[in-house]
Amino acid sequence: MAESYRRSHWKNGLFVLPYLSVFVVLLVFPLAWGVWLSLHKVDLFGPGRFVGLNNYVRVLADPVFLQALRNSVVFVAFSVPTLVVLGLFLALALNRTTRATSFFRGLFFSSSVLSVTIVTLIWRFVFIPGDGLMAVLFEQVGLPPIGFLSTSGWSLFSVGVATVWWCLGLPMMLFLAALQQIPSDLYEAAALDNASPLRVLTRITLPSIARTIMLVAIIQIVMQFQLFGQAQLMTNGGPNGTSRPLVMYIYEVGFVRWDVGKAAAASEILFLIILCAAMAQYVIATRKPEASE
Amino acid sequence: MRRLLFSSVAIAALAFGPAAHANTMIELQRFFGACDADYGKVTDVSAAVGECGIITALINKFEADNPGIDVNVTTVEWPGYDQLNAQLASGAAPDVVSMHYSAISDYQTRGLIEPIDPVLAAQGILPDSFTDAARNGVTKEEQMFGLPFDNWTMLFHVNLNLMKQAGLVNADGTPILPTSVEELVTQGKQFKEKTGKPYLVQILANETATYARILYTLLQQQNADFFADPLKITLNTPEAKTAVETMKRIKDEGLTTVGLDYPAAVSAFANGDGGIAVNGTWLIGDYVAQSEKSGTALSGGYTVYPVPQLFPGRDSTYSDGHSWVMPRKDRSPEQVEAIGKLFKFLAENDFQWARTGHLPAVKAVFDMEQFKSLPHRSNIAEIAQTGQSLPAAVQRQFAIQDIIGEEVGAAVNGDKSVEEALGSAESRINDLLANL
Repeated sequence: MAESYRRSHWKNGLFVLPYLSVFVVLLVFPLAWGVWLSLHKVDLFGPGRFVGLNNYVRVLADPVFLQALRNSVVFVAFSVPTLVVLGLFLALALNRTTRATSFFRGLFFSSSVLSVTIVTLIWRFVFIPGDGLMAVLFEQVGLPPIGFLSTSGWSLFSVGVATVWWCLGLPMMLFLAALQQIPSDLYEAAALDNASPLRVLTRITLPSIARTIMLVAIIQIVMQFQLFGQAQLMTNGGPNGTSRPLVMYIYEVGFVRWDVGKAAAASEILFLIILCAAMAQYVIATRKPEASE
Repeated sequence: MRRLLFSSVAIAALAFGPAAHANTMIELQRFFGACDADYGKVTDVSAAVGECGIITALINKFEADNPGIDVNVTTVEWPGYDQLNAQLASGAAPDVVSMHYSAISDYQTRGLIEPIDPVLAAQGILPDSFTDAARNGVTKEEQMFGLPFDNWTMLFHVNLNLMKQAGLVNADGTPILPTSVEELVTQGKQFKEKTGKPYLVQILANETATYARILYTLLQQQNADFFADPLKITLNTPEAKTAVETMKRIKDEGLTTVGLDYPAAVSAFANGDGGIAVNGTWLIGDYVAQSEKSGTALSGGYTVYPVPQLFPGRDSTYSDGHSWVMPRKDRSPEQVEAIGKLFKFLAENDFQWARTGHLPAVKAVFDMEQFKSLPHRSNIAEIAQTGQSLPAAVQRQFAIQDIIGEEVGAAVNGDKSVEEALGSAESRINDLLANL
């Protein structure tokens, strides 16, 4: 029996071979290649030369990289809490089984299926000066127009608004799924105790979905650090680089300036940042729930 | 059964027989926009207007005239070099690509595009049939690396209706344009006072190219040799400071539109939101068409001039051009011949392309009566002499343009001091060029 088990043991690995092959080809190999590129002076079209950690030194000494890193951190710091709070609010509001709530769930999720090009086109119509929706509204109420896409501070804010509108569907759906897992008898007991809606929210609902809130927050941190399309299409990273995120920096250095080694070094730094967020997600997801009293 | 088999084979042979004489396919990749809805079937090139319309109609006409050749057109967002780079890196480059003269050095030095002299020679196209400016733009190491198609530059597109309202029109109907920075400011203030609108319509948002082109022009007009060494730019100079301060002053005095990106600036001028659009040659055809319609802001009141000489150094304006290049790849002799025919067709129809507003690359077009009778061409003819590009050995000109645009934009919009922006631009560009 033991011999048979030992003989069959390695064959069990064949079941994971298809996944493992794809994992190695699409993830492990590009990651290793990226590390190799980051240690070389290389462009897109041929072999490079080994330069050690020089690309990392150049990246960390580049004020444009530091500005892009700061932009990305600020963007994540503002967009993620907004996505979590708005997603939770919508999920709470739509956690009912009526036709209207089904319609609104579909409506709020519908923006998520649009491509980044369409999303940015819609929001350009809103923010563009002159004929844009905001410009017209400001004119109607007699306020001076704001260059939403061309003013420092406002440009990153505008990209953030478009991003929240685009990405809100997933957090809302995850929260809805979590809310529907809460046993209804808890709410019935609260009703018998005549608990206020706020008390029900803070003592039953939020504690019950605490891990989902963390999960959503960490997924969004990972996603929003990868901001690219909205910033490129709405503001081109401007003005003065104030809305240029890290991925756009990597793209410009690699594809516009052909400095692929430096771009790869910046990519590895971004990878480390996202890895930290993913590790936090793993720790939280695998943490055992506290024993109930 | 056997009869059935033979019948099937015979039918298959008839059905697939023409495959033996399949058309030669050319994969052509270009910018200039997409307009298939309007021009997808148009073969009468003279009926087309604007860059997109004319190039689409030209390709349609070429296919109609050459039934054995199919041209598969891929339209990319301007300028399309990031996509081309990815295609070259993955060995999937198209056969023919639109390319600015200023980008050719990047690809030629890495051996990514082929010299086209043999292709032109096989079709009997003589190199000296092109203008010097166009030929120099594509010639590297004494070989031509692209078919020159035009020369272009930034211009002053003038709304004469508003200029009349502002009292800035001569007795002969021509606009009064500035001959110095002080005159520009004075006339701009007068225009604003009389019309309530900004004097200039500029692309100041989400765009880097315009800032760079205007800076190059103002530097050239001061005789500044900012690229004496092709691997090093010099921007910490009094001339550069004066140029950027001039651009900033125009904005600070309220003489320009602000916050407009490219499409918004193009339509703002067409809507009559300002007096003079600082934009390229390629818009002449479109604006002329609008001026010929009634009920538009430009109706009967459009003209165009080169960017005026604002500094006493010399009359100069930054110029570049479009060409067609052949990425290095394996091609059949039939494909090379088909590309040669396409190049010959494009060169022979350079007049049609010149209707966009671009200056022709083919010398003979300048002598054509049809060209001479195109509106406003005599106003801008001097660009053939005053247009000046960056030195051909300067690489990564588009990346440099992005850096200059970002830094000068920061200075113009008050996010940085002029000195800080020029210092930052210089160090960023020199770091880029030191790590080619």
